Amino acid sequence: MLYLSQAIGRPVQDRQDEPMGRIADLIVAVGDRYPPVTGLVVQTDRRRIFVPWSSVARLDASGAQLRTRTIDIDKFRQRPNEILLRADLMDKQIVDIDGRKVVRVNDLRLDEVGGAWHLVAVDVGGAGLLRRLGIEGPFRTIARNLSRPVPEKYIDWEDVDPVETSIASIKLRVPHQGLAELHPADLATILDQLAPRDRAGVLASLDDEAAADAIEEMEPESQVEVLEDLSPERAADILEEMSPDDAADLVADLDEITRDRILAHMESDEKAEVEELLGYAEDTAGGLMTTEFVSVPATLTAAETIDRLRELEPDAETIYYVYVADEEGRLVGVLSLRDLIVARPEAQIADVMIREPAAVRTSDDREHVAEIVSRYNLLAVPVVDPDERLVGIVTVDDVIEAVVPDSRTRLPLRPGSRGGGTA
Amino acid sequence: MTGAEPNGGSELTGAEPGPGGSHLGRIGPNVDSARRRVLPAFRRTPAWRIRFAAVLGVLGPGLVSGFADNDAGGIATYSLAGIQFGYALLWVILASQIALFFTQEVGARLGLATGQGLTGLTRERFGVRWATFFVITMLVANLGTIIAEFAGIGAALGLFGVPIPVSAALASVAVVALISRGSYGRVQWAFVGIGVAVSVAYIVSAILSRPDWGAAASALVVPHLSAAPAYWLAVVGTVGTTITPWGQAFIQAYVVDKRLGPEDINTTRLDVGLGSLITNVVAGFIVVACAATLWASGQTGITDVAQAARALGPLAGDAATVLFAVGLLAASLLGLGVVPLASAYTACEAFGWETGVDWRWREAPAFYGLLAFFIGFAALFILIPGLPLIQVLYLSQVLNGLLLPFILVFVMLLASDRRILGDLASGRWLLGIGWSITVVIAVMSVVLVWATVSGTA
Repeated sequence: MLYLSQAIGRPVQDRQDEPMGRIADLIVAVGDRYPPVTGLVVQTDRRRIFVPWSSVARLDASGAQLRTRTIDIDKFRQRPNEILLRADLMDKQIVDIDGRKVVRVNDLRLDEVGGAWHLVAVDVGGAGLLRRLGIEGPFRTIARNLSRPVPEKYIDWEDVDPVETSIASIKLRVPHQGLAELHPADLATILDQLAPRDRAGVLASLDDEAAADAIEEMEPESQVEVLEDLSPERAADILEEMSPDDAADLVADLDEITRDRILAHMESDEKAEVEELLGYAEDTAGGLMTTEFVSVPATLTAAETIDRLRELEPDAETIYYVYVADEEGRLVGVLSLRDLIVARPEAQIADVMIREPAAVRTSDDREHVAEIVSRYNLLAVPVVDPDERLVGIVTVDDVIEAVVPDSRTRLPLRPGSRGGGTA
Repeated sequence: MTGAEPNGGSELTGAEPGPGGSHLGRIGPNVDSARRRVLPAFRRTPAWRIRFAAVLGVLGPGLVSGFADNDAGGIATYSLAGIQFGYALLWVILASQIALFFTQEVGARLGLATGQGLTGLTRERFGVRWATFFVITMLVANLGTIIAEFAGIGAALGLFGVPIPVSAALASVAVVALISRGSYGRVQWAFVGIGVAVSVAYIVSAILSRPDWGAAASALVVPHLSAAPAYWLAVVGTVGTTITPWGQAFIQAYVVDKRLGPEDINTTRLDVGLGSLITNVVAGFIVVACAATLWASGQTGITDVAQAARALGPLAGDAATVLFAVGLLAASLLGLGVVPLASAYTACEAFGWETGVDWRWREAPAFYGLLAFFIGFAALFILIPGLPLIQVLYLSQVLNGLLLPFILVFVMLLASDRRILGDLASGRWLLGIGWSITVVIAVMSVVLVWATVSGTA
């Protein structure tokens, strides 16, 4: 085991033990699970030279020894898949994927596997900080005498996602693979903590659907920023992937110019839905509802309805309820997925559905919607227009959001804080 | 409601089947548009309001830190300058305000270009050791400032006869409330409102006290020099209360937090310019008011805060004390809403610790621990029996001034690095001005130390 801070500045000797210079940096090739060290940057009297790993006989906390007497004095050039550990990672910010937060690199840990050193973990704990400050030894002694643990924290290199730093000598060409696998809510938390430039990098690496899922989970203010930073085409693509109610809420928060520019790039169907929803006041059922739901005529059988659901592959937010509408589009009944599954396959929907279901009108206020949802223990409540036509549903999560206002304080001074900032 | 006629297909609410399959729950064109037209709360905002909000959104950091500059330490220091030296220090006020614009502008640009705070950048550019030194310097200066805010509250409430222990407790409660409750945005504008009111009171009072405008005008542009240690103390204090270590961290963090980017540079510059101009005008009038009332009548020895209140006499008469106390109290609270948070944030950012009031205590122990330490230390400090509060207010600003050169050197080194600022890199011009300011302030601090040592030796 070797920490980067133990290697930096250590002497480099040639085969005859003649001093050549000092270790200025280590180079690793990214792409593997644990990137191997592929070379050293050596600071000689006059310049920095590059020494490939094949010429290195030994590397440890006492320094490095080369295999050769003479080396080709190669001027150091960084290749695209390589990272300089000290220049690009040390003291910079990285995303801790498991912890879902942005942390700072205090030190880097290398392990020797089969004759080569590999970068295995990032030290983000107190121990690394003390080591860098050169007071780890004394501190540990004191801590031992007080029988207090020294706080240590390491993050496996697999669970790390580098961010483009302000000062890194290169743009890290590392795909944000780890982030793409996160739950959208966790990804949103991380995006909220990143500087706009890093955020753009992460969003660029996600497909539209993943980006939409993450953006749906973000704070409204951050959503607006993110969308304004994207190209109108990309923003439109992402909005199309969002559920219409979330998309409408977001579009409503944009300024006129941005809004028109983005809407111009949207597919006409999704655009019509969003514009439709924009017409309702924000704190009414119309403003809370989504237009994605499943409705069937009462004449189908249970089996046909289930087939229909499969065929439609609804990307509706919820298919826990299947709504039943007449040919005028009026809401006549509802049945839960459970009812549908336990019904005999040949049973008519009209016979198993619940008639005259609880519903709200587009103009009902959010408190009323919440009351209905909680009184009947619904996961979603249908919304009807004045002619009783079914126009949308309000799902329970949107109701909760509406009645439990986000009470998180917004103070300036915290870039990357959730919901804003600090002082 | 009746059941539907059989039509053998899945009819999807008013949807026309599009290419390649059915749509889900699409609403047809048959919506009651008439109803929508009369909806009270339309979700579209008129364009002019959006534009206005956008300008206001960017305007702010400079204005806020401009007013926050006239905090308790500021009011005390400007008052003392006017009382002890009359109009003589006006040139320092003008010069330090011009310098304030340039230092704040650099700080704002660093934030706009990198999206990182000052200590975070220091850490990335100079490594952990320098960053630690930087943070400690910053925290020492900020602790002085926080003590000054507590002393300001103690002094203000003392004018109403409230004993110091009670003020210390009240101040501690106030900080916690300011930091943890409600939306800071609204509180911030309330502070600015109070700031405006107090500023206006000083301006009116200065005019009513019939100052010697000629002397004031010449003192504004003609530097007055003296070898007296007390004079240099006042010079460094005046600079240190205007350009502050925390102010540098604050402006940068503020633009980062508002997520402004390089495209907002012009609005930010305007904002910073307005902020320093306002600070300048107010500070000048505080000096003039004190000079025309107390200094002109020969009362140049000041032993307690109550005397400084008499500068507001021409406007408020017998109510001057009340007005002064309210102003001092508001100014202290304004500082307390910002400085402790800015300090904790600054430290945590450099070391990558969780920071901010959104975290729970257990998730961000360093952040809350630092806040608790600042508040506890400051509260205990002003409990020291027989502490001359006015001196505490004054000397804390001198400490700020003495530590400022260290902070500015880091700021200027960062600003000189083209890789960091990218498109917003300083031209030769701005760099030259920035370095000159840094050198001048450093020289002043050295002169003060020298004058103090040789004066007392």
